[in-house]
Amino acid sequence: MARQRWIATAAAVVAIGTGASYVIRALPPDPTPVADFSAPFVFGRFSVPQDNPLTEEAFALGRRLFYDPALSGGNDRSCATCHIQRLAFTDGLPTAAGLNGESLEFSSMSLVNLLWGQERFFWDGRALSLEQQALLPIENPQEMAQDLEELVRELKGSRQYRRMFRQAYGEVSSENIARALATFMRMLISAGSKYDRFLRGEAVLTEQEELGRKLFMAHPDTKVSLRGGNCIDCHSQFLTSGFRDGLDGFSNNGLDKDVDLPAGLMAVTGNPAHKGFFKVPTLRNIAVTAPYMHDGRLQTLEDVMDHYNGGVVVSPTLSPLILEADNAASPPGSFVGLRLTDSEKAAIIAFLHTLTDEAFLSDARFSNPLEGEL
Amino acid sequence: MKVNNEFKGLLPALFTAALISMLPAQPGAQVREESHGVVLLRGLPTLETAHSIAIVELDPEQENFGEILSEVTQPDMTHPLHHLYYSPAGRLYATGLDPVCSLAEIGLERDATGAPQVTGFECLDTQGQMVGEDIMWHSSNGTEYMFVTFMGGTGGDDGGTLGVFDPQTNAVVKVIEARPSQVGADKPYIMYPHGISAYQDRMIITSTVHPDLATGVGNALTVIDLNTLEPIQNIVVENEKPLGFPSSPVEVLFARPSMNENIKPAVLVNTMFGFETWKVPYDEASKTFGDPEVLYSGAANNTAVPLEFYGTDTELFISHALPGVVKRYDLAKLPDLVSSGPDIQAAPGAHHMIFFTSKSGRDLIAVQNNLLNLGNAADNDPTDVDFIAALNAHTITVHDLATGEQLGSVNFREKYSKGVDNLEGLFGSGFVHHH
Repeated sequence: MARQRWIATAAAVVAIGTGASYVIRALPPDPTPVADFSAPFVFGRFSVPQDNPLTEEAFALGRRLFYDPALSGGNDRSCATCHIQRLAFTDGLPTAAGLNGESLEFSSMSLVNLLWGQERFFWDGRALSLEQQALLPIENPQEMAQDLEELVRELKGSRQYRRMFRQAYGEVSSENIARALATFMRMLISAGSKYDRFLRGEAVLTEQEELGRKLFMAHPDTKVSLRGGNCIDCHSQFLTSGFRDGLDGFSNNGLDKDVDLPAGLMAVTGNPAHKGFFKVPTLRNIAVTAPYMHDGRLQTLEDVMDHYNGGVVVSPTLSPLILEADNAASPPGSFVGLRLTDSEKAAIIAFLHTLTDEAFLSDARFSNPLEGEL
Repeated sequence: MKVNNEFKGLLPALFTAALISMLPAQPGAQVREESHGVVLLRGLPTLETAHSIAIVELDPEQENFGEILSEVTQPDMTHPLHHLYYSPAGRLYATGLDPVCSLAEIGLERDATGAPQVTGFECLDTQGQMVGEDIMWHSSNGTEYMFVTFMGGTGGDDGGTLGVFDPQTNAVVKVIEARPSQVGADKPYIMYPHGISAYQDRMIITSTVHPDLATGVGNALTVIDLNTLEPIQNIVVENEKPLGFPSSPVEVLFARPSMNENIKPAVLVNTMFGFETWKVPYDEASKTFGDPEVLYSGAANNTAVPLEFYGTDTELFISHALPGVVKRYDLAKLPDLVSSGPDIQAAPGAHHMIFFTSKSGRDLIAVQNNLLNLGNAADNDPTDVDFIAALNAHTITVHDLATGEQLGSVNFREKYSKGVDNLEGLFGSGFVHHH
């Protein structure tokens, strides 16, 4: 009897121990808040979802997922296929390349400083969070063509991914894939350009760059003889991205006649007043993200300046801030544009080059962690 | 066995507790900070508190209204920092009353949740200039500088300087000094400068009062030619002497078309001891100033110690420390003072202010009600100055901007055993043109 009791006790101890061991392995340890987090105060407020705080484990997982071709149905393309670090996470193409080599509808957007700016993602604003955004290209049959359930099965088959998911979130799931990718993208902070150093008092702009900065920051006003490039009306002063509030960060910047205007934001909101509205992109690292606009139609920054200087196409939804921005006191009326001089255009371009953040473009923290493993 | 049964009964609870402890932390998301103010707090000697820089919640609709969200103390300074200013590049500066720190740059950053934090402050080399008051950024010959008034200057009975700093490096570029005793009679002088404002190539600074509040009081404006960075003219603004002192012009605003296209350029100035608001017309073609005239008399209207000018897109606000009101005027009608509504009834010492929206979207104004926190007799405070003690409510009152209704009040003396010397909106709360 005593022997039976001893065996039962031992069995119970083993069972409890095994159960506890399972629980300990299945539950995530306390994830580590990102170390030495640093964000310029001037970039303004930001919010992080309460169920997806910035942690080291989530960042490491998100970084690996971002670069892993396993995320595509054919295991042949990753997020990084269209978002290349040295190109500020764009791809250098007018529009992204589809699975079969076809040109997709939109240019691959730069991924930088996504903690700030508009809270809608994609050129037409169809995603309301980075978590939502992260899964759409994976499932898109023209992009990565991956079934999410299949992807979860694949990742569960990897000991390393099981461990990384457990450390970051607990389990492998499509929701946690989205969270991890969103965390990686939120951590892509560019704040080391010459302009940033200028703002911190660590660098001095050249005379031409300073003229460009002043023009960038000014809406032209002939009444007070203020010349301006009108950039700041859509690209905020420090972030150089679109504004955060409501749909302020979306605009029709005069690329097409009404009959040719794509739906843009209207496809999401259903509001005809949003026809031809696209997300105002960040200008951070703009010198390395050619070609430009949502469809990559403009090859160079000079082309961009020429567009705003005299090539603006009027349509019913054209931004009024662009429509009425003119440096001429009595515009001839033959075209809509800024009417800047060649030297003023060159100055703005010189300023735009100060937005290049070489450290960001080569930051090892954002590079492919799979290199050397594959 | 009874013990074992009890243990078994506890297992679910222990298991649940273990589970909860293993879940990831859920830091609160930072969703709005329009209503955060940055304040300079003065430790009160008899209450054994230290001076500090703090971020405080000022929206009465928030549960944490009046709470300090971040704070950095200045334990080694006899006098606190004085006035906060953001540079065009978004850097935060403060002038200071303590000779060891007459000008400082304040560090701000965000943690991984987005919450703003004060990280510290760095005292800047002023080349001996003391008692920093106001700062503004303006151009001289196409180059932008940071201009700082130092009411104590480099010392002496008739001191006072205008410091010109490199806005990038914070290095002193020039110290503009012109003591009455040195420049000679009828020559333009600078003495006890405090207020500062500029338009095109003309800058105005005021001659207020010696920092010891006893040695001397000014009654004039000094015009600085920004082409040469030299004083070129004094303009006396003095009429009534309700206290028997010189007028002590304090804050100044160069009203100009960039504030509203209808404005004809003119200088507005408040006289701290004359209780008046003056207008000095300016002809920009000839670069000449007209005869000063009194626009508002505190003696005739039962107000005293007019201090600050602040503005929104449509209105100009002037604080009057006694009885503690903020008067409001139509911005488009400047430089004349045309009332745009009833006074905002703040509290004694009404001084600096910020504008922001509440959580529900209500437009608010917060007013810091303290002239100078020099203590009061009830505390047997060694720094007590009786007439100033009457101008210290130690509060920030928050009002509906449209109606003036007071919606909340934070008494810093009661809540934190400190006085509140200055208030500025946390970056992103919107700028005002108080210069």
